Amino acid sequence: MMLPAALFLGAFVGWPLAQFVGDSFFNISPMAGGPRSFVGFANYAEALSSPEFLNASWRTAAYTIIVVGFEFALGLTVALLFTALGDRSRVFRTIFMYPLMIAPIVAGLLWRFLLIDNFGIVNELLRQVGILRSTDQIQWLSDPNIALFSVAIPDIWLTTSFITLVLFAGLQNIPGDIIEAARMDGARYPTLLIRIVIPLLRPVIAVALIVRGIDAARAFDIILIQTNGGPQGSTETLSLLIYRTMVRFGEPGLASAMGTMYLIVMLAVAIVAVLAIWRPGSDAR
Amino acid sequence: MNGLETRRFSSRALVWTALAGIVVMYGFPFLYMVLTSFKTPLETIAVPAQVWPTTWTFDNYADAVTRSGVGASFINSIVTAVLSTLISLLLAVPAAYAITRYRTGLGRAFILVALITRMVPAIVVGVPLIATFRNIGIADTSIALAIAHTTISLPLSIWLMASFFESVPDELEEAAKIDGCSRLGALWRVVLPVTSGGVAVTAIFAFLASWNEFLFALLLTAVRAQTTPIVIANLQTQFGLDWGAMTALAVLYSVPVILLTLVLQRHIVAGLTLGAVKG
Repeated sequence: MMLPAALFLGAFVGWPLAQFVGDSFFNISPMAGGPRSFVGFANYAEALSSPEFLNASWRTAAYTIIVVGFEFALGLTVALLFTALGDRSRVFRTIFMYPLMIAPIVAGLLWRFLLIDNFGIVNELLRQVGILRSTDQIQWLSDPNIALFSVAIPDIWLTTSFITLVLFAGLQNIPGDIIEAARMDGARYPTLLIRIVIPLLRPVIAVALIVRGIDAARAFDIILIQTNGGPQGSTETLSLLIYRTMVRFGEPGLASAMGTMYLIVMLAVAIVAVLAIWRPGSDAR
Repeated sequence: MNGLETRRFSSRALVWTALAGIVVMYGFPFLYMVLTSFKTPLETIAVPAQVWPTTWTFDNYADAVTRSGVGASFINSIVTAVLSTLISLLLAVPAAYAITRYRTGLGRAFILVALITRMVPAIVVGVPLIATFRNIGIADTSIALAIAHTTISLPLSIWLMASFFESVPDELEEAAKIDGCSRLGALWRVVLPVTSGGVAVTAIFAFLASWNEFLFALLLTAVRAQTTPIVIANLQTQFGLDWGAMTALAVLYSVPVILLTLVLQRHIVAGLTLGAVKG
C-alpha cells in the first residue's frame, strides 16, 4: 500500500532530481531540445569561482540565521507568556496564529507596502513617536546595508507563530512535579527557565528550529516580491540566484550545478538533524 | 497547568499588557492592509500615511475583480488546491496505514525518505518537471500544477496520517476482522471514520500548501492554469505599483483561509504541533 505513494515520489521528485543533477555536468543551450555537451565538473568550477555564487551562499546563511534567531527569541517569549496565562491565553493564541495561513507572496507584498520610506506606515509611526526625524531616514528596502534584514521581517512575522505553537505545546507537557520540586528548592523564574525548562524543551526546540531553518533557507517568493534580489544584489539568496541563472540568463547547466551543491548542503544538514532527533529504529516516537 | 502559570496579580497584569502589545503589533499589518484596500488611489500613497481611510470606497475591489485573468485565476487556485488535496490524501492514507500497521523497517525508512524529500528546494524539482509535463501533454494545466503541489504536501500528509493511525487501538481492527472485514475494509469502515478529524487536518494542510504556493505556479503555468499568487505578483509589473488593487486582491485571497483557520483552529493547532512534540 506504500507503493502508489512511493511511485509518485519517485516519478515526480526522484526522477526530476536525477535529471537536475545530471544536467549539472552538461553545457546546455537554453532552447528546448538544443545541443548539449558533456563538460564534467566545469559548471561546478565556474560556480565556485563566481563571487555571485559565494555571496549568495553567504547571504542565504545570514538570512536563515536572522530569521530563525529572531523567531526563536520572539517565539519562546510569547510561548512563555501564553503559558503564564494558562487557559486564558486562548484568544491571544488565535489572533497570533493567523499569519500562518497567509501566502508568503501576500506577506512580502504587504510588508513592502508597510516599509516604503515616504508613504509607508512604519516610518510614519516611528516618526510620530519621535524615533525618526523624517520618514525617509530609514530606507528599509533600498539601503543595501540593511535590506537583507528588512526582507526577513515578513518571514519572521509570518511564521513565528509556528515556533510559538510548537513550544507552547511542549511547555504544556512539562510535568508539574519537576517545576514544583525546583520551586521548593528555591529556584526563581530565570533559574527555572535556564536550568529546567529549556533543557527539557530541547528536542521540541530542535525540531521547530530545523523545520523553520530549512524553510527559511529555501525562501523565494517572499524576497522576490519585495526586492527581486536588489538593491545592488544585497538580498539575492541562492534560490533567487539559481532561478535567475536558469530562467533569465539561460544557463541551465550552471544553474543545476549551483542547485546541486545547495541541495547537497541542505540534505546533509537535514539528514544529520533528523538522525540526531528522530532516531529511526528506536521506539521513541 | 504545571506551575509555570503566574499567580500574583501584579505579574499577571504585566503578562496581559505584554501580550496585548505583541498581539496588536502582530495583528496590525493585516488590519492595515484591509484598511488600505478601502482607500482611494490617491490616499494609498499619501504622505504622511494615515491608518484610517478618510473616504471609504469599494473601487479597489471592483477594479481588482474585473481585471482580466483575476476571476479565472481564482478558479484555477481552487481547482488546483482541491485536486492536490485529493491526490495527496489518496496516496497518503494507504501509505501511512501500511507504515503504522505493519511496522517494518521499510516503513520507517519510507517515512524518513519522504520527510527528506520535503527539504528539497522547489526549484530543483520544478525545472525538470516543466519538460516532463510537456512530454506527457499536460503543460500549463491545473492537474500538472496539482501534481507538483502534491510533491510538497504528500510527505507531510503521510507523516500526519501515520501519527493519527498510530493512536487507533489495534483491537478495533481485530474486531472488524473477526466480523469479516478485509484489511482494506477495516481501513475504510472502521479506522478512517475514527480518524476523520485527522483526515480533516491533513486535508487542510495539503489545501493550504497548494493555495499559497508560488514558485511551482510560476514555473509550470503560463496563461491557462495561472493561480492568483502569480496574478498578484504580476500586478506590480504590468500596471506599475497599483497598491489599491493589489491590497484588495490580497485581502480577497487571504480572508477565506483566515476564516477557515478561525473555524478549525483547534484541529490546525493539533496538526502543527503533533509531529514536533511527539518527536
